[in-house]
Amino acid sequence: MGGVSVLEDWLFKFPENIYINIKEPIDGAIDYMLRNWEPFFDVITKVLRSMLSGIGTFVELIPWWLLISLVFIATYAMSRKILRAILYSVLLFFIGAIGLWDLMNQTLTVVISSVIISLVFGLPIGILISSSKRANAVVRPILDTMQTMPSFVYLIPAVMLLGLGNVPAVIATTIYAIPPVIRLTSHGIQQVDVEVVEAAKSFGATKAQALFKVQIPQAMPTIMTGVNQTIMMAISMVVTCSMIGATGLGTEVLIGINRLESGTGFAAGIAIVIVAIIMDRLTQGIIREESAPNE
Amino acid sequence: MNEVKNNNIILRVENLTKLFGTKKTLAREMLKKGHDKEEILKHTGVTVAVNNVSFEVERGKVFVLIGLSGSGKSTVVRCINMLQPPTSGKIYFEGQDVESFSKSELLDYRRNKVSMVFQSFGLMSHRNVLNNVAFGLEIRGVKKSEREERAMEMISMVGLKGWEYSDISSLSGGMRQRVGIARALANNPDILLMDEPFSALDPLVRQDMQFELLSIQEKLNKTVIFITHDINEAFKLGDTVAIMRDGKIIQIDTPEGMSSNPADDYVRNFINSADKAQIYCVRSIMQTPTCLVRTRDGANHALKQMKINGVSSAFVVAEKMQFVGILTLENALKVRAGELAYQNAFIRDLPTTTPETHIADLIPIAAEASFPIAVVDENNQLSGIVTKASVLASLI
Amino acid sequence: MKKQLSIIILCIFLIALFSSCSDKTESAGKVIFGDAGWDSMKFHNEVARLIAEAAYGFDTEVVSGSTAITYTALKSGDVHVYMETWTDSIATYADDVKNGNVIELSVNYDDNAQGLYVPRYVIEGDPGRGIEPMAPDLKTVEDLKKYSHIFTDPDDPSKGRIYGAISGWEVDRIMRNKFEFYGLGEFYNYIDPGSDPALAAAISAAYEKGEPVVAYYWEPAWITGKYDLVLLEDAPYDPDLYQLGQCECPAIRITVSANPEFVEENPEFCGFLSKYETSSALTSEALSYIQENNASYEAAAKWFLKEHDELLDQWLPSDKAELVRKQLN
Repeated sequence: MGGVSVLEDWLFKFPENIYINIKEPIDGAIDYMLRNWEPFFDVITKVLRSMLSGIGTFVELIPWWLLISLVFIATYAMSRKILRAILYSVLLFFIGAIGLWDLMNQTLTVVISSVIISLVFGLPIGILISSSKRANAVVRPILDTMQTMPSFVYLIPAVMLLGLGNVPAVIATTIYAIPPVIRLTSHGIQQVDVEVVEAAKSFGATKAQALFKVQIPQAMPTIMTGVNQTIMMAISMVVTCSMIGATGLGTEVLIGINRLESGTGFAAGIAIVIVAIIMDRLTQGIIREESAPNE
Repeated sequence: MNEVKNNNIILRVENLTKLFGTKKTLAREMLKKGHDKEEILKHTGVTVAVNNVSFEVERGKVFVLIGLSGSGKSTVVRCINMLQPPTSGKIYFEGQDVESFSKSELLDYRRNKVSMVFQSFGLMSHRNVLNNVAFGLEIRGVKKSEREERAMEMISMVGLKGWEYSDISSLSGGMRQRVGIARALANNPDILLMDEPFSALDPLVRQDMQFELLSIQEKLNKTVIFITHDINEAFKLGDTVAIMRDGKIIQIDTPEGMSSNPADDYVRNFINSADKAQIYCVRSIMQTPTCLVRTRDGANHALKQMKINGVSSAFVVAEKMQFVGILTLENALKVRAGELAYQNAFIRDLPTTTPETHIADLIPIAAEASFPIAVVDENNQLSGIVTKASVLASLI
Repeated sequence: MKKQLSIIILCIFLIALFSSCSDKTESAGKVIFGDAGWDSMKFHNEVARLIAEAAYGFDTEVVSGSTAITYTALKSGDVHVYMETWTDSIATYADDVKNGNVIELSVNYDDNAQGLYVPRYVIEGDPGRGIEPMAPDLKTVEDLKKYSHIFTDPDDPSKGRIYGAISGWEVDRIMRNKFEFYGLGEFYNYIDPGSDPALAAAISAAYEKGEPVVAYYWEPAWITGKYDLVLLEDAPYDPDLYQLGQCECPAIRITVSANPEFVEENPEFCGFLSKYETSSALTSEALSYIQENNASYEAAAKWFLKEHDELLDQWLPSDKAELVRKQLN
């Protein structure tokens, strides 16, 4: 009987004496960075902080009626549908009416900053990996990791290294939101008709000329789809980010959860949904305009 | 004598070989030992695209490379402008080794000496016609006003005047290739490389474009290297024709020389397939009948129609375009004069054909027919007509 | 080949099925413990689990979630036992007990503390790490006014930064009142850390770097156990002033509470729970053990019951205590 149970243990339980300790080296690495890389993280923090305050000031400078009018005009210009334009304006007005306008501005500040950083890094990386197989082989698994790694895993180290608040929130959001723009930029460029690229080369275009005059403009609809997805993913991080002290609508959701106040949670949740819908439709509109001549 | 001839050679290709794959050294050895393409592919995974090809192109002439798909002809042109660097062998442009060009010399060569026209046009959908045509000049850094002026000139030369600001997507295939040609000519190159430029076009449009190319060639006297898989096109356009198979050139000759003296059975078969009528069916040459009357119309109406269209006979259809026959001017006049009943005036027992019929099979009928032949579908509905002239034209 | 493979897979599946069946032993039922995420609660859960399994033959399970979610589950019966009910951070707790939605079985401990902490080196310096005293006279919450330049807010360098309680917790409101009452708003920004781990990370990062930091926290907790933090003094507790933030936080009654139906159905086991009593010191001791030895909560529970054998006699009838001892050895 004893023999059977030993066999059974061996078959069904992972052997206990096999254990690789990866926790301590990771702790050690973060500790090391915390102690020795302070100047480096200080620079990052400073840059992000001034960016955030710049964008924050800009967002807050736009009066509510101007933003609503802008959404109205942009929607109408893209869809030529007056009802849709009215609907989006009313939805935006509704956010103000439920008392969340300022929080929305704070959320927008974090989202816009993250999206800008994602684009600044994502577009060149996408372009790079579109033409280099080796870069592609390195970047792709990293992107997969970034997209699937639960964000709380890197949120806490981010807090330790960068402090609490909007700065680590921007970093965490960027990590989560950057993969689509990289992937779709690279995909879009690779998808450009081989003959079109050959044509550019055959007329004596340099690599840069082929890239900027032909490949990127041709890939633009796909690239814009990537931008759209990046924006959507950035918005989806809002609540998670408020768990490390990012201000805005996410905080309101957390308060709702912590106090069991479903109303508070839903109000903020609805505001997030409205922001997401408007941003999605506006960028979709741009994509449609970009791709219209290609049909 | 030899000297004089050499001066006139603009491009010389010597022992050009192009392999695709990783184990090229091994593949090259196998090539030397005389193994064939398939064996090499099986053993080494290397594709032999071009195998030891040599030829010369005279200035101002049209040199045609013909072969089936996969025979390596497209690779040859891509080696000429170095889109594909040759594995071995030399390409001399006006005596200069193209492969030895530095980066900037290569760009200069592509910008000023050779231009290419692509099978699926290779146009940029984000630019309009004008900006596509001006692309080569833009790359070269030509001023905007200057390049647009030049592009306008080219656009009107290929017959697209008025379409300058249209989107590429709004153009038909034939028009798109005109843009492709205009774009290539805008650079004023010495050599025009044309990689199956007309293969994607409808047969009728293709004939148009061939004609267009010949007339442009006459005007500008460019050297053209033209790729095709259509022996007719080759013979129609080429001063010299080189026929390729499995990466090798089998024969280089004038069309006349090749027809009268094919190098082997393969070439002979290829030339025999030149009987274009085998390839085309009636649908490709049929036209809409210009003068159509119905059985319930009267003779007066029929006469009016004939007069408007300037023809001496009208096609008669019943309800739902059911083909009935032909009413001649003569009979129509008789009806008006009361000598003949309208219903009896039609010539009914006429030969008809279907859209799917090969033109070759139509020739005997066309030879006999005194009117255009009606094309009807399986339900006897009139789909179009074929004139004697169009049958003949398709054979040229 | 394919056939053989599928037979092998089928066999493995059958063996797995068979062995999982044979593992099932007779069980007295199931106890589900709520885990609201902090470590002292996890520790007490493991102690109670160990006893529930060894002495009473229960199957046990731990359900994790936020305070709000697990507490709601306790009321609905999806969670049976809540080993650490922080009575002041659950707004409805008093009413729930009064209305019989939740049964309070015992007070786990009520000698804890919470409030604004600073690392000891901020006041006294730490020669070992080469840290000079930065605020030698900092003793009370009110003293913070003098030292706002030390706790600089990087987002707003003209002011200092105080890490507050987590938004949505009851104590957050009290801390904000305190902030107002002492006029700290003029000198400091009150930063909402968003979540407990984020707050811990902020304190931990500052401590590791030897930087000044002032933050809300509580004890027992591993942060207050691991790091040498000093609780800033405040006016003595007065129930009338407490909600206004004008005095120190009282020790909170941390109770063991349970779902009423569960109590009704399991009087014997709940008899044990109603005697369950520890102290902040005992809890901190266990949490330090975990932190120092990188131990699991389960191992800590075993260690703890061996170390404090007398608790078994206080909590359990002698026969049950023996069963636990047998399990421990």
